[in-house]
Amino acid sequence: MLVSGYYSWNWLEATHVLTLMISIGSLFIIDFRMLGWVLPDVSATAIADRLHKPMIIGFVIMFITGILLVYAKPVENVQSLWFRIKMILLVMAFINAWVFNSRMKAADGTWDSARVAPKGLRTGAIISLCLWCGVIAMGRFIPYDWVDCPKVSNTALLWASGCVEQLNAL
Amino acid sequence: MLSNLLSNYRTVAGLAFVVLAVVLVEFFEVRASIYPSLLPFFEWLKYSSWIGYLGITYGSVYATIQAGHLISMAIIGGTVLVTDLRLLGVLLKDIPSETITKGTHQCFKYSLMVAIATGIFCAAGVADKVYYMPVFWIKMLALLTGSGFMFFIKQPLLNSRPHHEIDPWTLRILAAASIFIWFTVAATGRWIGFS
Amino acid sequence: MNDSKWDDRTIAAASSSVIILGALLYYWVGEGQSMLELLELAYGSVKFFNNPLVF
Repeated sequence: MLVSGYYSWNWLEATHVLTLMISIGSLFIIDFRMLGWVLPDVSATAIADRLHKPMIIGFVIMFITGILLVYAKPVENVQSLWFRIKMILLVMAFINAWVFNSRMKAADGTWDSARVAPKGLRTGAIISLCLWCGVIAMGRFIPYDWVDCPKVSNTALLWASGCVEQLNAL
Repeated sequence: MLSNLLSNYRTVAGLAFVVLAVVLVEFFEVRASIYPSLLPFFEWLKYSSWIGYLGITYGSVYATIQAGHLISMAIIGGTVLVTDLRLLGVLLKDIPSETITKGTHQCFKYSLMVAIATGIFCAAGVADKVYYMPVFWIKMLALLTGSGFMFFIKQPLLNSRPHHEIDPWTLRILAAASIFIWFTVAATGRWIGFS
Repeated sequence: MNDSKWDDRTIAAASSSVIILGALLYYWVGEGQSMLELLELAYGSVKFFNNPLVF
């Protein structure tokens, strides 16, 4: 129903993509602040702290719409190499965010007004930027069919995309 | 008298001129007469330009640049939300809005440049389709309006003096218009993909 | 003239914001209405507007 209804798929996907501006937008501003690229004269923890809420709201909307999108086309998604890489990157991004947060709390106060954050936090910010760019790119790749099962002959790729039929036929 | 008024109200005069120009373009159907002459350009963009060729031939390059377009859109969204929600008094209330406005503008400018560059590439690959889509032209109009609004009206006002000296309701509708127009640019962009 | 609160830049900002907000509201309300009409046509049950094509 989600796929065939007028507009319902489009609405879901549009919401999923547009919420990027809230979730990733806030997250990147925090990361950019750590690197001293935006708002260098504002306390870094203040930025991280105040933008936390809109970021979480954005991510909650993204997760709900994302889950519905997967639910609407389960096979296409789960059997997609890009979707699988995206999920791995997401998990890595969350581990990174968790490490980043605890590092930020541990380093509390000592560097707050500095233009750039300490090295550990800067590395965390760069990793976060790379991982989320990867997540967005993989999300963008999902609708393309370069590695759809019938087109692939490489065994490793077949395994990674979960092409059971093609693997059995080998 | 008139020259005195014009020199005192240069931005207002510019704005009035733009509005008048838009009305005249619509009234004398200039848009309808220019529209067909743009088709060769769009066809050239898709079939003869190297960006069109690259986009059509290599799907992976196209998708990667689309992802770049999305990432720059996310950053634009972030800077716009931070700046305008601060002006509306929703976010970051304890940080002066002057600092926020100045601190995010550079980032906004760069990401807008990236978004436009990647956007031209994305449009080139499907130039023969987008030419016929009303939503594409709405997006272009919104983008042009948003950029003009940002660089010629919003930024000059916000940088001209401390924000407490500016009428608070002007600040609020300024921020609301800015959020709304950039949301429209993004939303119509997403809709191009569906049409 | 320019030392009052309502100088050149403020008037330009306020009026352009009002124009932009008005135009965008007009556009989105129109889009919403045409979408509802399409839904009415498709499902025939969402009768928000007097669409002669829906019985």
